[in-house]
Amino acid sequence: MTAPVTLSLAVNGAVHEVTVPPRKLLSDVLREDLGLTGTHVGCEHGVCGACTILIDGQPARACLTFAVQMEGHDLTTIEAVSEGDRLSPLQQALHQVHGLQCGFCTPGIIMTVTAYLRDHPDPDEVEIRDLLSGNLCRCTGYQNIVKAVIRAAAEIRARAPA
Amino acid sequence: MSVAAKFSQIGKPLPRREDRRFLLGKGRYLDDIVPPGVAQVCFLRAPHAHARIVGIDSTAACALPGVIGVFTGRDLAEWTTPLRLAPPIEGLHPVEMTTLPIDKVRFHGDPVAVVVARDRYVAEDAVDLIEVAYEPLPCVADTASALAPGAARVDESLPDNLVSHQSFSAGDLAARRAEAARVIETTFDLQRHTHVPLETRGCMADWDEGREHLTMQIGTQVPHPLRGQLAGRLGLSESQVTVISPDVGGAFGQKIALYREELAVAALSRHLGQPLHWREDRAENLMAASHARETRCVTRAAVRGDGRILGLELELVEDFGAYCFYPANYMARVIAMILTGPYRIADYSFDVKVVLTNKCGNGPMRAPMAITSWVMDGTLDAVARELGLDAVEVRRINALGPGDLPYTMATGEVLADITSRETLEGAVSAIDISAFRARQARARDEGRLVGLGLCTVVESTTYGSQFYKAAGIPGSGHEAAWVRIEPSGAVNASVGLMGTGQGYETPLAQAVAEGLGVSAETVTVHMGHTDIAPYGMGSRGARGATAGGGTLYLCARKAQEKVLAIAAGMLSLNDARGLRLRDGHVERRLDDDWQPTGLGLKDIAQRAYLDPTALPDKVAPGLDVSLTYDPPPMTYSNATHACEVEIDKFTGRIDIRRYLVAEDCGTVINPLVVEGQQHGAVAMGLSGALFEQVIYDETGQNLSATLADYLVATATELPKVEIIPMHTPNRSTPAGIKGMAEGGIMGAIGVIANAVNDALAPLGVTATRMPLSPQYIRALVREADENQERTGEA
Repeated sequence: MTAPVTLSLAVNGAVHEVTVPPRKLLSDVLREDLGLTGTHVGCEHGVCGACTILIDGQPARACLTFAVQMEGHDLTTIEAVSEGDRLSPLQQALHQVHGLQCGFCTPGIIMTVTAYLRDHPDPDEVEIRDLLSGNLCRCTGYQNIVKAVIRAAAEIRARAPA
Repeated sequence: MSVAAKFSQIGKPLPRREDRRFLLGKGRYLDDIVPPGVAQVCFLRAPHAHARIVGIDSTAACALPGVIGVFTGRDLAEWTTPLRLAPPIEGLHPVEMTTLPIDKVRFHGDPVAVVVARDRYVAEDAVDLIEVAYEPLPCVADTASALAPGAARVDESLPDNLVSHQSFSAGDLAARRAEAARVIETTFDLQRHTHVPLETRGCMADWDEGREHLTMQIGTQVPHPLRGQLAGRLGLSESQVTVISPDVGGAFGQKIALYREELAVAALSRHLGQPLHWREDRAENLMAASHARETRCVTRAAVRGDGRILGLELELVEDFGAYCFYPANYMARVIAMILTGPYRIADYSFDVKVVLTNKCGNGPMRAPMAITSWVMDGTLDAVARELGLDAVEVRRINALGPGDLPYTMATGEVLADITSRETLEGAVSAIDISAFRARQARARDEGRLVGLGLCTVVESTTYGSQFYKAAGIPGSGHEAAWVRIEPSGAVNASVGLMGTGQGYETPLAQAVAEGLGVSAETVTVHMGHTDIAPYGMGSRGARGATAGGGTLYLCARKAQEKVLAIAAGMLSLNDARGLRLRDGHVERRLDDDWQPTGLGLKDIAQRAYLDPTALPDKVAPGLDVSLTYDPPPMTYSNATHACEVEIDKFTGRIDIRRYLVAEDCGTVINPLVVEGQQHGAVAMGLSGALFEQVIYDETGQNLSATLADYLVATATELPKVEIIPMHTPNRSTPAGIKGMAEGGIMGAIGVIANAVNDALAPLGVTATRMPLSPQYIRALVREADENQERTGEA
């Protein structure tokens, strides 16, 4: 039942071969086997959203997914959001308007919002609050996160070719 | 009135330095720094609220491949000493607890045995294989049953469950009652909360057998006090223990005490001679880390017909849970001490009972005195309602004004440099009450429930040692810092605080930069390592800015004095009069102007370290300055919250239409960080007031052990908070800092209740407990409907 299996995982544009027990959560495999500790684990029951990553471009809870389910899928984690050391517009906006405090929920929020802004370039505040409702933040009261998303969306629109 | 004008570094809204690593996913929280292969720890927890442990059979668990060992309370008692809390305080019983329970469990979730295994998955398998024989005992799941005659005793070393009882009276309450037009009684029931840091508790202990030294990596607010606890209970000296706090994913008061699990992990690392890592899961965090609040207050206000309070009596009962990690009077006492806050009430009494029950132990949670402002301003609103008076006028007639300050409260606490009357008027004017009342009248005509609340907060932010002594609470309020200018001119500094998300690295660098005369970018503040930081009392309350920032500022000023003394020698001056360090450059006052001298901090540092024989007489080599500082007995901030709500009477939903805070928190070191704390505190207060609740059934079973049951507000439930800054400096603290970050919770809890009750007023019902959940609001509306039907029939 718990005999390890070998699988290959495509994460952030690279393919990794790992040997893990079938019951091992994707969040644990990313953190422990691949050393991608930017994905945080806050509840292990899918409520807090700290472990949100992108599976084939869509936000998903890494704590509710087994790594063995992920062969043939394309995974993106917080480590691939910036361009090297250059912060993405969302990361930059979160920094400028103080949209993070302890930082534990931040990677999950960045993954959720990054995916959304790709398809919804001009969200209003109600829409943004609705979007964020799947990610708990205990520090900020969300106000500056909302502000950062509005700012980031504007920046992304400004950068896009007309 | 700008208080920041005279500063160059303090007052700048600098974005935070720690953001970069967090945004890139490169923070180093505890689990991120555990080397591969470190053995994992998992605890077996009690399924009963109260039961004797008859036997523990770990044979099957030990036989599981990958299990290193299974240990019980009896084992740990051989390697650790119990925690004994016996401060000499009248009315407080001494208590003692072992590292893990040995004879009985006292709450659902109490740790019973501990597994060490190769990985967390195997450790959890092994936990399931441990067989424990229990003999269930009668349990007490609330204060009423705990205080009933013959109730089961949570702690059998005590005569009963009343672990602390203290009372106080000033003035003549009987005489005030006799003079009063009315005595108005009001009840306030604040439910059981828990902190819910996004990162749960955890630690990694590494015993080095060769050096006989323990390194404990743990997210903690108080590195040095924790080190003392660890060393003491393991029979080690403080030289044998190093506590290192990595980045911390929130704490809110939950990461102060040395918990039993953490001590067990340290003891087991020493016993097994290998590093061990423990991370609690969310269910454990919700059930067994620490709970908070669950305080019931009753006030009786003796009032004149115009709403003036002549005398006030408080009865407070706190449900403290099963174990005391803090002296049981610690939180409740502060509520009673500062209750009257912004109001002039000379005749005041309190009776404070703290009761043990079969629940997780209570501890301080961001604003341990959270209920205070709800109780006080809620009492004023009850007075206004009962007497048919305007709620703002009732506040005004009782309010302390500038002319009353400094004001000695009935409890002996002295209020100075507060502006509660000003923030009240600031909030009243900003929310435009007369326009609201007109809107409210129209809404009421349409049958809609619309309300406005006010709540003025006097926030005790920074507890000096004298407060603890005078209040009969054990503790010290001092803080310590060092500032070192390195030979290159780089500035390192340290303080005993440890941040858990607030963003200390930037504002504390600003405090150093201001005191020293350099730019904040050149200063690095080191925290959270007991071999590096000086012994300080850590982060608790809202002491970070005043105690931490203040101590660093004073220490940096002392460093500047030395820098200038050396500079004077280099400039062939007799002394440093007329010199200053500004942005890292020595300047000299000539006539009315500051002129450059050509000397920079690096020149001074080179002289101090590398050419000490050239230093002026009596100036010692190096630039390494340390300082300790004990803040005034108590420092206060103040604020007035105002909010407008509409209640949907059919669903019980509360819609917050507008929310504002007029706040005076003194000199603001970094407005960006302070704004973040204001938002966060209001959010936590509202989340608690509206949704959160630890639920136990009558058998003591915890029914709220997931985040789907213990509800924390999300982005869709919280309002946009408008902040009206009304800061004035404190004249007794370094740089005029007052501190903040808990008052937002006090104000939010009070103002939302007051607004809801204003909205419910036409129905003749009043909310007296929290959370103000849709279910509760619906129950109140139904009660109103039934009352109306009965009246109709009669």
